[in-house]
Amino acid sequence: MDFTLSEEQQMFRAMFRDFSAKEVAPGAEEIDHEEKPPLDVLRKAANQGFLGATLPEDYFGAELDFVSYAMLIETLAGDCMSTAVTLATHVSLVAMSILGHGTDTQKEEWLPPMAAGEMIGCFALTEPDAGSDAMALQTHAAPDGDGYVLDGVKTWVANGGIAGLFLVFAAAPGGITAFVVEKDVPGLTVGYREPTLGLRGVAINTLYLEDCHVPAANRLGEEGEGWDIAQRALDRMAITLGAAGLGVAQAAVDVAAQFASERVQFGVPIAKKQAIQNHLADSLIEVEALRYLVYHGAWLVDQESDLTFDAAVVKAFAARVARSVTNRMLQVMGGYGYMEDYPMARKYRDARALGIIGGPTELQQVTVAQWIMASKDVEIAP
Amino acid sequence: MDFTFAPEHIALRRLVREFAENEMAPLAMEIDREGRVPFETLRKMAKIGLLGVCFPQKYGGMGAGETGYCILMEELGRVCTSTATNVGAHIGIGAMSIYLDGTEEQKQKYLMPLARGEKLGAFVLTEADAGSDAAAIRTRAVRDGNEWVLNGTKTFNTNGSFADVVTVMAVTDPTLGARGGMTAFIVEAGTPGFKVGTHENKMGIRGSSTAELIFEDVRVPHENVLGKVGEGFISFMKTLDMGRLTLGAACLGGAQAALETSVHWAKTRKQFGVALAHKQSVQWMIADMATEVEALRSLVYRVAWLVDTGQPFTQLAAMCKMYGSEVASRAIDVALQIHGGLGYSRDFPIERNFRDARISEIFEGTNEIQRIVIASNIFRQHGVRIRP
Amino acid sequence: MRIVVILGQVLDPSGIVIKRRAGRIFVNREEYVLQPADRCALEAALRIKNAALAGLRPSQGVEVVALPRGPLPDDDVLRQALATGADRAVYLTGEGFDGADDAAMARVLAVAVERLGGADLVITGATTFDTGQGQLGPRLAETLGWPQIVGAWQVEAADGRVRVVRQEGSGYVVVNADLPVVITVLPGALKPRYPDGARLINVYRAEDAVEKWDVSDLVSDLVDEAALQPLLEKRGQDFPPERERGVRLSGTPEEMAQALADTLRQRLGRRPATARER
Repeated sequence: MDFTLSEEQQMFRAMFRDFSAKEVAPGAEEIDHEEKPPLDVLRKAANQGFLGATLPEDYFGAELDFVSYAMLIETLAGDCMSTAVTLATHVSLVAMSILGHGTDTQKEEWLPPMAAGEMIGCFALTEPDAGSDAMALQTHAAPDGDGYVLDGVKTWVANGGIAGLFLVFAAAPGGITAFVVEKDVPGLTVGYREPTLGLRGVAINTLYLEDCHVPAANRLGEEGEGWDIAQRALDRMAITLGAAGLGVAQAAVDVAAQFASERVQFGVPIAKKQAIQNHLADSLIEVEALRYLVYHGAWLVDQESDLTFDAAVVKAFAARVARSVTNRMLQVMGGYGYMEDYPMARKYRDARALGIIGGPTELQQVTVAQWIMASKDVEIAP
Repeated sequence: MDFTFAPEHIALRRLVREFAENEMAPLAMEIDREGRVPFETLRKMAKIGLLGVCFPQKYGGMGAGETGYCILMEELGRVCTSTATNVGAHIGIGAMSIYLDGTEEQKQKYLMPLARGEKLGAFVLTEADAGSDAAAIRTRAVRDGNEWVLNGTKTFNTNGSFADVVTVMAVTDPTLGARGGMTAFIVEAGTPGFKVGTHENKMGIRGSSTAELIFEDVRVPHENVLGKVGEGFISFMKTLDMGRLTLGAACLGGAQAALETSVHWAKTRKQFGVALAHKQSVQWMIADMATEVEALRSLVYRVAWLVDTGQPFTQLAAMCKMYGSEVASRAIDVALQIHGGLGYSRDFPIERNFRDARISEIFEGTNEIQRIVIASNIFRQHGVRIRP
Repeated sequence: MRIVVILGQVLDPSGIVIKRRAGRIFVNREEYVLQPADRCALEAALRIKNAALAGLRPSQGVEVVALPRGPLPDDDVLRQALATGADRAVYLTGEGFDGADDAAMARVLAVAVERLGGADLVITGATTFDTGQGQLGPRLAETLGWPQIVGAWQVEAADGRVRVVRQEGSGYVVVNADLPVVITVLPGALKPRYPDGARLINVYRAEDAVEKWDVSDLVSDLVDEAALQPLLEKRGQDFPPERERGVRLSGTPEEMAQALADTLRQRLGRRPATARER
């Protein structure tokens, strides 16, 4: 087992760090406080090819392997988790779905503008009564001539407010089906931004579909294939979010460690106090474990392996680690950790999202339990 | 052992609960969004005597004792942590310091209006280089004739930006440190040189005020020395001990609210064809939460009883604060998880409670300091002296 | 001026769950609260007292006395009245009192008022929260031989006169009357005040804050021994039927209109439209 990064991967990592420090870090506080999506950053990221990170060069993508892409997400998340989640939604959930299930025509039509950042993608699956139980979705797609009419409401659509391209899941006669809907199509309305605890730079909106006509050419895959498309997308996203969690947790440790080395109380830097050392040590132990879990998951994506089990493990662990690490590191910073003038409060709020977005941890528990029991022929339902 | 509350405490709880639900609940989201202190609520509380709940009636208080104060804080904490913070700083450490160490004249002059809520109070200790290490403060008080002149800057102060009366700790003898070198002073707002500096932008308890206070040649008459010159630190520690218990009570309220909300949501929300309440994952979360709340409840009211019966309580008060803040944080974190996306949305109160709860593990002495207090107390009984 | 306020209690509705299908009411938490309308009555009395104290009529002292609305399990609501500002409260207890209904209570309370030395004004709630009964006020007025003003929204009293705004139909009427009068107040009419904290603590600490009278002492004044016999007999309880779910119409507007017309004709017992009528 070779755990080293290739030379190319190391080069990418240095480039990502450089980009993030220069272009992402300075604006992160404002993005959070003003609740505005990082459009400037996305433009610059597009220039670097990040918006088409894993897409083939044929579609003007950067053709990065998933491990490198995960490093990109990790690095960005360390400075601004909102930026990381925005990019992850665009690439892992939407672009890669089109790549994996689209016809050549569809790929040629949508992937280049997505790679160029001209069209941002968003993923519309969740509904008010279909959260954890996403399969209970009620948005329907009624056949209409040479296409479909979509009707329904989608909530918690990440990137909804800035998207040019909406990947919408609806119930067609043949089963759950995926549709690519372009912005400005009549019948598609983007609602207000959901005010959130954290990830305030992510445009999270409600989507209203009312009598929205979509041509058959915009159907991604066959009728009934939508659930499979969604599952694969969510599995990729789980590993991507794992990388984001890793990034925010590592950054939290770095910030707190710096603080602990400088803050003097009782005549010494607080890093000299064992309780503080334990907070730091416990956190880094968890971060290291997460690191290998995330990159193993990313490697599995590159191997085109079945991801479901590993994705669940990565996501569940990342949610747990991001939460507990940002919590401990906030405590290390004391009162300063609670003030919004310092980055820790934002990291704490952002990290908490991982327990919910991309599926709550409870769902991952079910997946892992199912995997364990599958070989023993015991069926487990959520 | 009689674990029942006295009739007056049951009646008090009913009064405060009704007040909190009618007067505070409707404002809680608004004051968080606007970042303002709900003075109108404090005025209403003053009118019915709540701002002097634990002080004897002869000093304008309600005479409900520490148990009554814990009940007040629990019920306030259940509805609005910001308001509980404003009230706690006023009663529990502001007015309390004067109650514990003031002369009769000082009590008549300052405690009475504070207990009646005619004036608001604050307790001023922390500085930029003196957080957990409170003994490292540098604000200086120098005697000049019949006055003391105060110079220094205090940070992260609750209520100080609007209080009428504050008790401030300053160094009176730099050679002596905490033992003999510090003195507490009562300072009135409006005294020349006493200014409010920056207001902090906090993650939570945004309906409370946290600000920098600046003392520039502030002249304080000698009769405003609280307690004895040189013994300020010891009296402040006494006040902080009391404050810890009641912060634990406020955390109890917050945890209780998280439990109630979680049960309600689990009953209401259906996924996969059944209410969440039918899922063992959720049942376990609620069972564990309820158990911790009960354990905390027993701890808080037992310590309140110790205070009301004049018994030692320092170690247990530290436990109340430490355990209470951690129980509340765990409970609200689980409540957020149970609510899923709605728990993360600012259109619902859960995320506000999540932000508010976090401060309790930090202020009024971080939980690290609380653990030092507890461990020190334990080991002292065995002859081992622990230094922070 | 002496104002008598009559206060009752009711099970806290938040502690009850009604299971229609089982035909039962489950009491999860047996806690009692002051009847909402009676609480408004107390508030009305206290406002009159405050107005008098505010110097409108400095010579006239106002005494507010709380009496129970029927047999109560304990004196808590009367203590609440004292804590909120009433001057005296009397708890009534005794044999034969337990099953008393509004008719019997009216008789007992009339004697109690007399025992207090008379009163100028009696105020109570217009309806009870649980049973929806409104009899006590009117029956008491009849027994006392006083006029009654029922369903008040606002009450002012001074100089031997009372001015009441009461609901009538969809509007309001102002009624003026000489004292003594019995007034019943609507629930939600006034925002009740909170009790003063210190007063609350003191009232609840003093075991004998509420006076206790034995009903048999009062009843011996009554000529008719059967005075305590209730007029009402509870024979059972029934739940109202579940509301029928409606029928959803579909189709073009013309189709829906036709279907609705047919349904209405059927319900009204008329024959359906002939093909020609359509």
